[in-house]
Amino acid sequence: MIKRLSLASRLALLFAACTAVVSLIAGVLFNRASEAHFIELDQQQLDSMLVALRSTLQGVESPASFAQRQAQLRAELSRQPDLTLRISAAGQRWLDDAPSMTLPTTPGLHSLQNAGTDYRVYNAPLTPGQPDSPHLSLMLDITHHQHFLQRMQRLIWLTVGLSALATALLGAWAARSGLRPLRRMGEVAAGVSAHSLTQRLPQQHMPVELAELAQAFNAMLERLDDAFQRLSAFSADIAHELRTPLSNLLTQTQVILTQPRPLEDYREALHSNLEELQWMAQLVNDMLYLAKADHGLLMPKREPLSLADEVDALLEFFALLAEDAQVSLVREGSAHASGDRGMLRRALSNLLDNALRFTPAGGEVRVRMVDGVTLTVENTGEGIPAPLLPRLFDRFYRADPSRHEGSSEHAGLGLAITQSIVRAHGGRIYCESGPGWTRFVIELPEVI
Amino acid sequence: MKLLIVEDQPKTGHYLRQGLNEAGFTTELVADGTHGQHLALTGDYDLLILDVMLPGRDGWQILQAVRSAGLDIPVLFLTARDAVEDRVHGLELGADDYLVKPFAFSELLARVRSLLRRGSSAPQETALQLADLRLDLIRRRVERDGQRIDLTAKEFALLELLLRRQGEVLPKSLIASQVWDMNFDSDTNIIEVAIRRLRLKVDDNFPTKLIHTVRGMGYVLEEHVN
Repeated sequence: MIKRLSLASRLALLFAACTAVVSLIAGVLFNRASEAHFIELDQQQLDSMLVALRSTLQGVESPASFAQRQAQLRAELSRQPDLTLRISAAGQRWLDDAPSMTLPTTPGLHSLQNAGTDYRVYNAPLTPGQPDSPHLSLMLDITHHQHFLQRMQRLIWLTVGLSALATALLGAWAARSGLRPLRRMGEVAAGVSAHSLTQRLPQQHMPVELAELAQAFNAMLERLDDAFQRLSAFSADIAHELRTPLSNLLTQTQVILTQPRPLEDYREALHSNLEELQWMAQLVNDMLYLAKADHGLLMPKREPLSLADEVDALLEFFALLAEDAQVSLVREGSAHASGDRGMLRRALSNLLDNALRFTPAGGEVRVRMVDGVTLTVENTGEGIPAPLLPRLFDRFYRADPSRHEGSSEHAGLGLAITQSIVRAHGGRIYCESGPGWTRFVIELPEVI
Repeated sequence: MKLLIVEDQPKTGHYLRQGLNEAGFTTELVADGTHGQHLALTGDYDLLILDVMLPGRDGWQILQAVRSAGLDIPVLFLTARDAVEDRVHGLELGADDYLVKPFAFSELLARVRSLLRRGSSAPQETALQLADLRLDLIRRRVERDGQRIDLTAKEFALLELLLRRQGEVLPKSLIASQVWDMNFDSDTNIIEVAIRRLRLKVDDNFPTKLIHTVRGMGYVLEEHVN
């Protein structure tokens, strides 16, 4: 239950508890101090009374001499209405105004209570220093002090209670308004849906403690939004990519079937359909490959590879194409890595294919590698504008939008697949470009 | 050559059987696993084509039963899912090859022929020949109609592959895999370029063309009748 309490109530309760403890301590200290003060006052009063009594009873040593001074004593006592006196000597009580009660016998100041009345009792010999001197017990009625102290204590309890209540209320209000940014955060979080991923927390108005959280929250929304955008774009792109070949297939098949035709026409139509179908099958296979990568199912083997050998094999594979395009292929350096031969060949083949496609005649594609392991594929030709660079690895992204329409041989998944393969190897890939050159950089972890 | 196809999707099964029959194989098609397993164990087949998902007993179970019965028939799997576990599982159980749907029929045919050839050890040939084209494997020389043809190493390998499998339509992916050891579907037209180059040397100066393009499927080396 306690765990479910709201932060504001929790803070309010803590405030209240703190105030209660502080005011309780202050009250107790004040109570103690006033009690000590009263004792001091009583002591002084009793001392002065003792002095007066001693002078009145000076020289009294026997009951007879006491009787002579009794009138004088009474007169003295009548001036002290709250004082009661008991005088005893050698086991006899010469005077006993006190109600029948047992008094402490030791000398000094004592407090005691009898029949609802509080007394301060002060025991002292009549003549100091004389062991057989008559013994005086002065009893001072201090009920009014005690009443004051009791009132005091009630007041303290009341203060404790009221201040705790007040701080609880004030604390709740303060906590509530202090936590307002948190609530706003909650509102924004609650308002986030697939349609409102663009909403952000106003970071600059946040208190320091929450700014960091807000920043993390905003960053999360940013990533979520980005991933969501890509995903939606991906689905839309799939539909779009499939629409063109599908509509070709539909139209062509329907047109062919509308009337009898020579055999050759049917064959031609089927061939054309076959091309569309193969393109679609390739697209589906590529997408399945990417889906597999997304689910972490792309598990590359870890075999020691000489990247130079792999690149040479690939360059040999691409040699004819390069020759046709009048582009020279160059390898520079060598490196060793552990990885999956088939996957890395596929990744590099996509890069080479891509590079060849954008290199003008007379240009060059250069593959460079250094141990450690960095591999770059650089081609001459028109550079790629910087804002487009991170998008190159997006699925279905084509640097040249004019290629988009029609079932060209390329679906634009090659670089995405390359990226997936590099990532599955624990590496990263990025693209750099400048005027007249474009370079893809693959960084693979070192051979273990 | 007798083949057993166990495939529960009627359309796929029908076309597989038709295609394989037309390619010269004797085929039997079964749609459920239990019946398929019975036939696989009792019929005398040269190759099994198994779908993974089947009613009755699935492809894995049939393969297991076949292998534990001590039969060494080559098995080709057709799977709809390209999950790594599937592949590992299949290869552990003793599958010889697998194809992931969607696949091209020409690819399937090429794989089937490869598997069937695997068993029979071909005699050590020293030369391959078709019509007036002759490829000397020892001296690594190619002649046509008595004229020497100079080929690069890859062109030689490509022509050797076409000659060894003359009459068979070879898909581009198979050529890439056999000649360049590139075992992935590449959408580049490298193979087209390579074939064009080879044609230039082998066919262009001769009246009879031997290298033919089968549109949408691949290339074949044969003395064309039509």
